[in-house]
Amino acid sequence: MSRETMNVEERVWAAINLEKPDRLPVAPDCQPAGAAKLTGRTQSVVANDPEEALNAELEAFDKYGGWDMYHMAVPSTNINTLFLGMKVKLPGRELLDNEPYQVVEEEVVKLEDYNNIIEGGWQNFFMNDLLYRIAHESDNIPELINKIQEIVQKAFQEWAKRDTYVPCWAGDLHPFFKLSLTRSMIKFTEDLYYRPEIVEKALDRMVQETIKTVIDKVRATGSKIAWLCEERAGGFFYPLPIFEKYWWKYTVQIVDALWSEGIISLWHLDTSWDKNVHYFKKLPKGSVILHFDGTTDIFAAKKELGGHLCLMGDVHPSLLSLGKPEDVENYVKRLIDEVSYDGGLILSTGCNVPAAIKPDNFKALVDTGKNYEFSK
Amino acid sequence: MAEQLTNLLVDLKNEKFLSQLKDRATKEDPVKILDECKRGMEIVGERFEKGEYFLAELMLSGQLFKEASAILEPYLLESGAQEYRGTIVLATLKGDIHDLGKDIFATLARAHGFEVHDLGVDVPASTVVDKVKEVQPNILGYSCLITTSFEPMKEATEEIEREGLREKLKLTVGGGATDEFTKKYLNADFQTTDAAEGINYCLKVVGGELNE
Repeated sequence: MSRETMNVEERVWAAINLEKPDRLPVAPDCQPAGAAKLTGRTQSVVANDPEEALNAELEAFDKYGGWDMYHMAVPSTNINTLFLGMKVKLPGRELLDNEPYQVVEEEVVKLEDYNNIIEGGWQNFFMNDLLYRIAHESDNIPELINKIQEIVQKAFQEWAKRDTYVPCWAGDLHPFFKLSLTRSMIKFTEDLYYRPEIVEKALDRMVQETIKTVIDKVRATGSKIAWLCEERAGGFFYPLPIFEKYWWKYTVQIVDALWSEGIISLWHLDTSWDKNVHYFKKLPKGSVILHFDGTTDIFAAKKELGGHLCLMGDVHPSLLSLGKPEDVENYVKRLIDEVSYDGGLILSTGCNVPAAIKPDNFKALVDTGKNYEFSK
Repeated sequence: MAEQLTNLLVDLKNEKFLSQLKDRATKEDPVKILDECKRGMEIVGERFEKGEYFLAELMLSGQLFKEASAILEPYLLESGAQEYRGTIVLATLKGDIHDLGKDIFATLARAHGFEVHDLGVDVPASTVVDKVKEVQPNILGYSCLITTSFEPMKEATEEIEREGLREKLKLTVGGGATDEFTKKYLNADFQTTDAAEGINYCLKVVGGELNE
């Protein structure tokens, strides 16, 4: 059945460059919580042991026949979840063994901290202060940071042995998202409405740091794509004037700075962006990949952005957890027929592979993505 | 004066709103003042429906309403019991500790005159069943942000069915991890990711619009 004429990297780049690949590139966002379910591990094992988290991802990849891109190559575990800037509850510690890790919505950054961020920068504030506010009493921070370096090296070596394209070794959260997570959503929204000047000053400073950090990391790792994340800025949450002034303006700065260095930015965009999709048309053609989570209407986004930007997604976590394999198969076919018919789509899960995924549904996603076009 | 308090809430003039509210609470009928705040929340809801307001304004007005309710509470207690439009039991089930969406919904529901029994997060199915038995709500609402709480929601629903309580209430489910598949799986009456849409559904339930 296979009529593949491109290698994994060529296939992914064809989609990014808005050309028609030999077939749709497949890239489920398989983080440890989903990989645990797919490989029979507990959530506790993958959340507390970075090596086991990576092993779960590698095993899931091998077990389901592999796929074209593994864009988040370093597993998200007890270590790097700290970099969300929030307190984390872990399975086997505060949660039951088979419950996935979860973050706590709490005001860990106080109003008075804005001045420290504006004066000293986010990175300085985070490493020397915030990290110690959110860490669990059992966390040894220097040890955890060393462990991250080890696991990055191991992930680099292990993925290089497999036939998959692993482009993202650099990434960051949008500064707006960092403030929303760490101030807590309601407090940050109060800041935006009642004391916007200080937010703007902080974002001005933070966005320059994000640009520098990401470009430096990309240069150091030889990446071509940088991962960026935002889950709280779209039209689901904020009116367009707020979005324009405190998110879009900074996003354009980030995208332009990366694009001028030849770097594509892959935006992980959770929640509905239906009201904002048209803004992305203003970005340079082919400069970003937009990863939607199944709540943004990807079919409408295709009409708006088709031929201009590559889309990614968007099999909904509920469908993957509760649906039947034929439901998943039908949805993937619809994505191929209506979004990928002329290229410009990377097939993925909406957000990450969910912790309650049915293995047969995962198989249906990967297999339909790889075979449907050749079966027609 | 009444219109002013309502408008201050709608326009999110937080400082003026709270200052006027505190001043009036000592002198006027607290039920009347609370009604003015509820009217403000209704207007916010109407603007949300028209697409003029967003979740941000729902959250901020909800916060103001919450503060107003806390200020008025001692005066309301003195003046006697409030009347409710209906009763809602709300929970985020076992395994899920996210409370943001649930809390927003609870505040909006209270602002729309519902008695809300918010059971919190990480709630065992048995606690939901016990509370439903106790208060016999018009609406049972599940909030859900992660897929691993699908099974505890299913367990609670099946127990409610076995107890013969399901026919007496409407079951709603909301949150980022939910969609039509979740609704079908739980045999729920309604699903949404939009808190204001959820409130409208609850208003229809108690308004008798869904009694077919």
